[in-house]
Parts: sequence; C-alpha cells; structure tokens
Amino acid sequence: MTHQVIDWIAVGCLLTGALLSFAAGVGLVRFPDLLSRMHTAAKPQVLGLILILIGIGLRMWPESHVGVLVLIALFQILTVPVAGHIAGRVAYRTGRVRHDLIAVDDLQAELEGDGGTR
Amino acid sequence: MTAADESGAVRPVEAPADERSWLQRLLGRLPTVVWLTVMWVILWGDPSPGTILAGLLVASLGYSAARLPHLPVRLGFHPIAVLRLASRIGYDLFASSVRVAFHVLWRPERTRGAIVAVPMRTDSDFLLALVSGGLSLVTGSLVIELNRDQGVIYVHGIPVASPEAVEGLRRQVRRTEELIVRAFGNAEDIAEFERAEREYATTTRKETS
Repeated sequence: MTHQVIDWIAVGCLLTGALLSFAAGVGLVRFPDLLSRMHTAAKPQVLGLILILIGIGLRMWPESHVGVLVLIALFQILTVPVAGHIAGRVAYRTGRVRHDLIAVDDLQAELEGDGGTR
Repeated sequence: MTAADESGAVRPVEAPADERSWLQRLLGRLPTVVWLTVMWVILWGDPSPGTILAGLLVASLGYSAARLPHLPVRLGFHPIAVLRLASRIGYDLFASSVRVAFHVLWRPERTRGAIVAVPMRTDSDFLLALVSGGLSLVTGSLVIELNRDQGVIYVHGIPVASPEAVEGLRRQVRRTEELIVRAFGNAEDIAEFERAEREYATTTRKETS
C-alpha cells in the first residue's frame, strides 16, 4: 500500500519535472531576448531537475546511490544562478539587450554616469 | 639585484604572514577536508572504512596541492531563520517557475522586463554573494550587476507590466536580502543591517512628507 503511494508521488514528481523542463526548453526558443531566456534557464529548469531527481530518488530509495542525486541538486542550485548572472551581465554590457523590452532601466543611467567602466 | 628591483616596478606582493599556529591552521582546514571526504563517499555510494580512508587521503592531498588561501568566514547561523529562508526560497522557486513557464506558453514575445537598482543594507561579501545567488533562483529575478563600492544590486525581473510590478520587484529583493541576513549574518551584520534599515525608513519618510 505505502509502496503504491510512494510510486504515485514519484510519478507525479517525474511528470511535473518533465513538464517544467519542457517549458524551460520551449522558453529558450520563444522568448525574444537573452535576459528573458536566462530566466527560463535559471528557474523552471532547476525546479524541473530537482523534481525529477526527487522522483528518481523515491523509486530508488533504500539504495545508497541516492546521495549522488542530492549532490546533483545541490550543485545545480549553487552554479546555475552564477551562470545566469554572468551571461546576463555580459549581454547587458555588450549591448545585446533589447531595450524596447525593458520597461524600467536603472542600470543604464548608472553606466552612462561613470562612462561605462568595462 | 635586477633593474626591476631598483626601479621598484616589479616586486612580488608578499602575502600577509599567517600568525596562526600549525594546529589552528590544521583545524581551519578540517571542515573542507571532511566535506570533500563526504562527497567522495557519496560518489562511491559505499560508506565502508576503506572508502572513507581513501577519501580522506585524496581530500588532504588535493587540498594541499591546490594551496587554497585561508578565508576567515565570519557568518552566523540561526536555525529558525534558516528554516524561514529555506521555505520562502522553496515557495518562491516554485511560484516563479510556474509563472515563467506560463509566460513561455502564453505570448512570450510580449513579456516585458525591468532592471531595478536596489541598495543593499548589508556590507558583508559573503552575505552579498548569498543574496545575489538566492535572488536568481526566486521570483522572476536575475541579478545582472553588483556595484560593490556603493552596495547596489541590479536585478532584472520578468514579467513587469506596470509601475506596481516594479515596486513589487523591489520589495521582493529587499525581503530576500533581509531573510538571508537574518539567517546567515553574525551579530555585527544584523546590527549593521538594522541600522541601515532605520536610516532608509527615515529618508523615505522625509521624501514622502
């Protein structure tokens, strides 16, 4: 009985995770500029992966390799924001940003003020 | 003595002398070595004495070969605040994932964003690193620039369609910062944070009156 319940939870996690990862992939194609694309790479992708890992972990449970899944999730959470930050920063500073898609831009004034230290 | 030495143009920068005794230095390295060993054991998936021993050996060798500098980490740890932070980030990660996923499917070409400057109220390097990492995970925000001198963080957020949404983004950033400072700041950081918070409150009150 409990086995079945855990299986269903695992199935739910795997499906939701797959759906979010799919949305992240579609977002990379459909969003118009790099900054929005980095959003899809940073959020639905991480949560989707974590959900898939939880699903796998529930199915694998007493096996000792579950720890590896925890490590994967941990390093995703640690590294993905950094990658997004660097890509966003470089894109902005090299002018690969569509300003018509940005309603408010506090950074532009700042960079023009100090002559754009690159 | 070479010409470079005389002119003083090229001179190796001397590292500040490490005043700690060898025992203190060893103890300072222990947490990292233990963490590396734990990862080793997890990767092997087999917590037998042999694996642990080999892990310790590889971790110590790798650590001494890498000659990592000693960073004095001065962070606090408040369990209840950490729990509050973890649940908030977990919820925000979920909410923002769903929101971004929705905008992927529904008219992505019309999604507009905003870049807002948010002055940070903490001045600790570690806390700022945590804040910028945490922000990118939550609520449609992506840190694209951090002005270290002035302590200002620049966050890109989607979707932003109205002035209220811009204010919401600012509030979100400030709340995440507060949660992180209260979870991982030491007493000094928290006191400084609260001082900056009061200053901010008085300036905004002056502006509105």
